[in-house]
Amino acid sequence: MSSILKKDISRRSVLASASAFGAASLAFPNMAISADGSVLTVRSYSDLQILDPAFWLSLPEADIIKSIFAPLVDNTPGDEWGWRPVAVSSIEQLDDLTVAFTLRDNIGFTDGYGQMTAEDVKFSIERIVDPENESPYAGDWSALKEVEVKDKLSGLIHLKNKFVPLWTTTLPTAASCVVSQKAVEELGGKIGTEAVAQSGPYLLSEWVPKQKTVLKRNPDWAYEPGGFEEIHILPIEDPATAELGFEAGDLDYTWTAVSSLPRLKENPPAGSVVEEKPSLAYVWLGINQDNEALKDVRIRRAIQHAIDRETVVDAAYFGAAAVANGIIAPGLPGNRDGVTYDYDPDKARALLEEAGATNLFVTLDILNQSERLTAAQVIQANLADVGVQCEIKQNDSGTFWTLGSKDGDYFMNLQLVLSRFSMNPDPSWATVWFTPEQVGVWNWERFDNAEYKALHEEGLVESDPAKRDEIYKKMQALMDESGSYVFLTHEVVGLIHKDTIDPGLKPNGEPLLPLFRPA
Amino acid sequence: MAELWRPIRKILREPLGALGLFLVVLVIFGAIFADLLTSFDPTRINPRDRFQGPSAAHLMGTDQLGRDLFARVLHGGRIALFVALVSTAASLVIGIVLGLIAGYGPRWLDNLMILLFDAMKSFPTVMLALALVTIMGPSLTAVMVVVILVTVPGYARIIRTQTIALKNSEYVTAAQSMGANPARILRVHILPNVIGPLVILASMDIPVVIGIEAGMSFLGLGVRPPTPSWGSMLNDGFTSIRDTAWIAIAGGIPIILTTLGFTFLGETLRDVFDPRLKGR
Repeated sequence: MSSILKKDISRRSVLASASAFGAASLAFPNMAISADGSVLTVRSYSDLQILDPAFWLSLPEADIIKSIFAPLVDNTPGDEWGWRPVAVSSIEQLDDLTVAFTLRDNIGFTDGYGQMTAEDVKFSIERIVDPENESPYAGDWSALKEVEVKDKLSGLIHLKNKFVPLWTTTLPTAASCVVSQKAVEELGGKIGTEAVAQSGPYLLSEWVPKQKTVLKRNPDWAYEPGGFEEIHILPIEDPATAELGFEAGDLDYTWTAVSSLPRLKENPPAGSVVEEKPSLAYVWLGINQDNEALKDVRIRRAIQHAIDRETVVDAAYFGAAAVANGIIAPGLPGNRDGVTYDYDPDKARALLEEAGATNLFVTLDILNQSERLTAAQVIQANLADVGVQCEIKQNDSGTFWTLGSKDGDYFMNLQLVLSRFSMNPDPSWATVWFTPEQVGVWNWERFDNAEYKALHEEGLVESDPAKRDEIYKKMQALMDESGSYVFLTHEVVGLIHKDTIDPGLKPNGEPLLPLFRPA
Repeated sequence: MAELWRPIRKILREPLGALGLFLVVLVIFGAIFADLLTSFDPTRINPRDRFQGPSAAHLMGTDQLGRDLFARVLHGGRIALFVALVSTAASLVIGIVLGLIAGYGPRWLDNLMILLFDAMKSFPTVMLALALVTIMGPSLTAVMVVVILVTVPGYARIIRTQTIALKNSEYVTAAQSMGANPARILRVHILPNVIGPLVILASMDIPVVIGIEAGMSFLGLGVRPPTPSWGSMLNDGFTSIRDTAWIAIAGGIPIILTTLGFTFLGETLRDVFDPRLKGR
């Protein structure tokens, strides 16, 4: 055998064979494996890092968490925001301060952890608020007083004060997922990447890091079953790569790059449906105000004036997205018509000179995605124009989403960061991440403003839309004043799916995995 | 002068050698005279001119930020050649020194160094690059360190083998008996006899090094934006390949031509200077 290899294989023959193989691939480009009807294959923009409803890091994780740990309620699919019961047979707001719930009577936890009870609901919700746990989602339940257990399956959620976003951004999210008290305590108080005591319509059956997560229909789930026997979730960070995967037949559903939308809408791949949804998300350039080089507010304001937001957004999204004036999207109270800083390079230069910041060198951390890289290069050019040298640092998602964490060792070195947060349909879910409690958690700009905090609290209890509008506009003006934010865009959501599936989607295009169905 | 022309004439007599030499000279010429060949700044963005097709104004078109692709190709050549030449030269020097020490030194040192070379060689290049970039951050220096770590063990092993073969030869024994110290023996008597094949091997490794640089830059682990690199141009083009294929083509063509050029030249050099290996 070895002699045959020696005789026949040379560097040139290998090159020749490779060329022939490449030519054959070009001649037969459609040799992809087609998807099985019982398996739905979707793309997520980041890989699994944690499965705990109190500590999830990215939206794709929350999608998985809500599929395997039944939430009390979840969003309805369609174009209007609404909610539907999942783990509860009934749930009702009795008054401003009380919500009564009754669990469905035969939801079980896997791995022998028994039936889901009201005690588990109490544990699951109160652990998010418990200051000792330092959950980044404590704000979702900031109005919680306690969960009172009435009997095995029913209880009352008592609030300290009126809480306007309860039914929009708290209950229909991972914050209402019910975990097994016994299982979590045995795990030491926190769920990692090992799914134990699952209870949702799907069960996580396999996770291969950086390759795929497999959900299988829960055979013990007695209610509306998931539409597919299995859901395969492939972590593909770059949307352009995902589009290629879709066109090769490897994916049934994916978000697309915003910049690809015009092309895809004009020329959708055969057998596919392209949709554009309004996005609530927000993209901004954050500036760490505790970083030694950026402590002077004049330097941060100079950076605000140096950035040509129109050009950044146009270049990154090829005209498919509009410029944002804050963190609150159109249609929600607090959406603004403008920011308090304009693009004025001369003013930026003057501010830098006044602050004595000549030869300033900064770093700009971004997620390694094509749109972010393009936006970052325009920002880099804008900064160079006013005399600030900027180095772009590309990070994979695992690294990026921990850059500003106080648990890491980089958060004080972080200078400029290009971020995007997903959003739920209440302005408080945008403002909550920039409160003083979130410094070093999700508030990487380390913006610490007592007035902002007070306004945030006020917004949570104020139900008059006009007054809420005023409150949230004022909060964003305070963010402007800090010099730590350059608001860029809310994007739009572009998605593409095979016409053989009927995706369950929230109004902003985010997936509700258990509601995907064969068409 | 005639001594210099003789090998060049031999190379030019081989069709692939002539083509290789032409391509290599073309790339080097483009890189050196980039500023004269184009008036565009390769880093200057102009989003209004994005995705323009090839034209008289922009020979290869423009990218998603309106940057002239021809200028980026020429200046990207500087980066590719700089990385390839500097890191290959550094690898050669380090490999030669380590190989001579391993081959001429005591047995225990040889065993230790072989273990070290094999350990270095066993790391997959991409994994090694990812690990190094995590430690050092993406940069040109990181690319060069990866290249050096990947190529040094191979060079050192070749030098070691040849040094072992030569260290008991009569002329070396004679030099030893005349009191020559080991440094002199290695420098004067062994090195000139072992370096030839290594230079040919290094010339054939240059495309590999260019591929590593382009690959790391494609993945966002190499040259930092806005510095032009063929790999980052490929990445830019990949995003919009269906509508504007010329960006990926502009990034891909120089990589292909440079790789072919150095490969053909290296193989011809080997055939010319070591006919025993011809056709392999």
